[in-house]
Amino acid sequence: MNVIAFYIAAAIAVLTTVLVITRKNAVQALLYLAVSLISVAVIFYDLGAPFMAALEVIIYAGSIIVLFIFVVMMLNLGKRATEAESKLLHARMWIGPIILAGILIAELAYLLAQGNTRVGAAHVIPPRDVGLALYRPYLLGVEISSMLLMGALVGAYHLGWHKQRKPETQDANREHATSPDAGRGPVRTGSGRTVGAP
Amino acid sequence: MATSLNDMMQTVPQWSDYIRILPEIVLSLFGMAVMMLDAVMDESKSQKALGAVALIGAFGAIGATLYQAQYPFGYGFWEMVRVDAFSIFFHFIVAAVTAVVILASFEYMEVQRIRAGEYYGLILFGAVGMSLMSSAVELVLIFIALEISSIATYILAGFRRRSATSSESSLKYFLLGSFATAFFLYGVALMFGATGSTSIFAISRSLESGNISLLAYAGLAFMFVGLGFKVAAAPFHVWTPDVYEGAPSPVVAFMSTAPKAAVFAVLLRVIFEINSPVPTRMWLIWIVAALSMTIGNIAALVQNNVKRLLAYSSIAHAGYILVAFAALPSSGIPAAMFYTAAYAAMNVGAFAVISHFGGEGERYVTMEDYAGLGKRSPLLAVTLTIFLLSLIGIPATGGFFAKFYVFSAALQANLVGLVIIGVLNSAIGAYYYLRIIVAMYMHEPKQEAPVAPIPMGAGLALAISVVVTIYLGVIPGRVLNYAQQSVSELTPVGQVVSLQAPHAVEARMATNVKKALAH
Repeated sequence: MNVIAFYIAAAIAVLTTVLVITRKNAVQALLYLAVSLISVAVIFYDLGAPFMAALEVIIYAGSIIVLFIFVVMMLNLGKRATEAESKLLHARMWIGPIILAGILIAELAYLLAQGNTRVGAAHVIPPRDVGLALYRPYLLGVEISSMLLMGALVGAYHLGWHKQRKPETQDANREHATSPDAGRGPVRTGSGRTVGAP
Repeated sequence: MATSLNDMMQTVPQWSDYIRILPEIVLSLFGMAVMMLDAVMDESKSQKALGAVALIGAFGAIGATLYQAQYPFGYGFWEMVRVDAFSIFFHFIVAAVTAVVILASFEYMEVQRIRAGEYYGLILFGAVGMSLMSSAVELVLIFIALEISSIATYILAGFRRRSATSSESSLKYFLLGSFATAFFLYGVALMFGATGSTSIFAISRSLESGNISLLAYAGLAFMFVGLGFKVAAAPFHVWTPDVYEGAPSPVVAFMSTAPKAAVFAVLLRVIFEINSPVPTRMWLIWIVAALSMTIGNIAALVQNNVKRLLAYSSIAHAGYILVAFAALPSSGIPAAMFYTAAYAAMNVGAFAVISHFGGEGERYVTMEDYAGLGKRSPLLAVTLTIFLLSLIGIPATGGFFAKFYVFSAALQANLVGLVIIGVLNSAIGAYYYLRIIVAMYMHEPKQEAPVAPIPMGAGLALAISVVVTIYLGVIPGRVLNYAQQSVSELTPVGQVVSLQAPHAVEARMATNVKKALAH
């Protein structure tokens, strides 16, 4: 384990996380969040857990953050949003995350080039050990996580649910109105939200 | 107690492993069955049927728990879960509360026009997490179980979507609850850093063997903050009144008892196992217990909304239970367990009354609405009176023995100051519970219209709650004996556990695989 590399990456992680919660622009905050996650990945690599480092980048920085950014960028439709988006191209927006990410890349390149950094770590955990831990002692944890996701899915479905109102069944629906949304007003065309929904 | 070498070598779960999580399996299967049936059945007819399926699931979980009690106790899934009298006690509370709450929800769903499918599904999924929490002895697994239970209750709190207070309740609970869970997770991480393990027994052994680092103290404190939030103990209680006020009443009955019982089970295990080598644990719990009792009771004095009043009362009762935590394990653990059971019975009952009386949109929840209830619906008034008397701690109700055992456990541990604070608080508490009783019997009703007759589901739920409350107050011996017996089966405090920690199993398995690969 390279101590200096650890402290650099840790400092970047703390700094970017503070920036995430202080930035007013959502996209900029998310860029910092991506850098924060990558710096955690570098720490993992430095500690002798290359598999975790890869997972961190692939799952968090790779898929979740990219999804966040897509959603945030696509949500604001209209003229104001277009103006806001053109601002994103300003150097002011991305220069900070780029510099910090550059430092991390340099650090990672140094660690990779050095090659023997892992000698200092307690021991390197290969993917096989992770798999063995997950499918032996933590088997129940892995399986019960599916119940967690199931519960969250049902919850998300409930929150996002609204009565489908097809023209021919509209009256029938109104008659036995068992839904919380029944009689709440028409569905706004194309928006997928009921009137008055937040 | 020590697992044989054969068990260590096992590569797939054995039959016995599945029996150790039988209630969770039953609840999960029925939860999924409810969701499936909801998808294929006609919505106008399915509501009662789904409730019935969920009810069978909850009773199935009770049956599974009873079956577990007959089966030899021990570890399952590589020492991730431990089934003993202690976990069976809490399994039973969770499953029974789930069943009674489902019964109480039967008519409520129709009155409030709530879609039943997700509601019953989420209650069963939540019960899976709560059930698992009480038998898990590994902090990562406890965390996952805690999250399952929390996510289900966040959504359930906001189930009356047309009501703004319900949505507020859900959002508030979600934001603060996630924050608290993060505290718990951070505590687990620090504890892992200090001891190199997330197994409760391995942590306990590691702390016994050497001097305890600051990291371990910090980890324990963070975990206590996270769990303290979930049971609504005093410095972390601010969310409780708003959430209980907005959430549907049957859901409040559920979330103020079942998850609390499960989290108290975790706290008991964590505090009495991990913290056992730390003699100075008392003062922290002492302060939290005293604060919870005092803040809860004093704030409840000025409440006019009965749901908010019971929310503050629930903070106070968390304080009474924590008094037992400050006592010695031999008397404190059974006292806390008994209190949890008694509180579950009386609180579920009280909220079942509130949910029936509230009517559509839960309109009737203030003190003025309860005025003259004794004339308008004598049966409902008598039932609520029994629960309120039990919450005060009047003899012949479960609440009396619960308080009695807790305070005598504290006296045995020489915590005279805490007992004095507790008894004074009980006196303060009597005032506001009596206020409701006085309003019901002595004040003139605002409206003369009789209350809707108690429907069958709610009636059954009330009957069960009344019977259990009085049973615990008249013949507490059996339940208390079971609680005491379960303490002797918990790993005795201070004894070096002759078990292999999960990571030891893991290491051994890794070498086995290496050998196999070499061939």
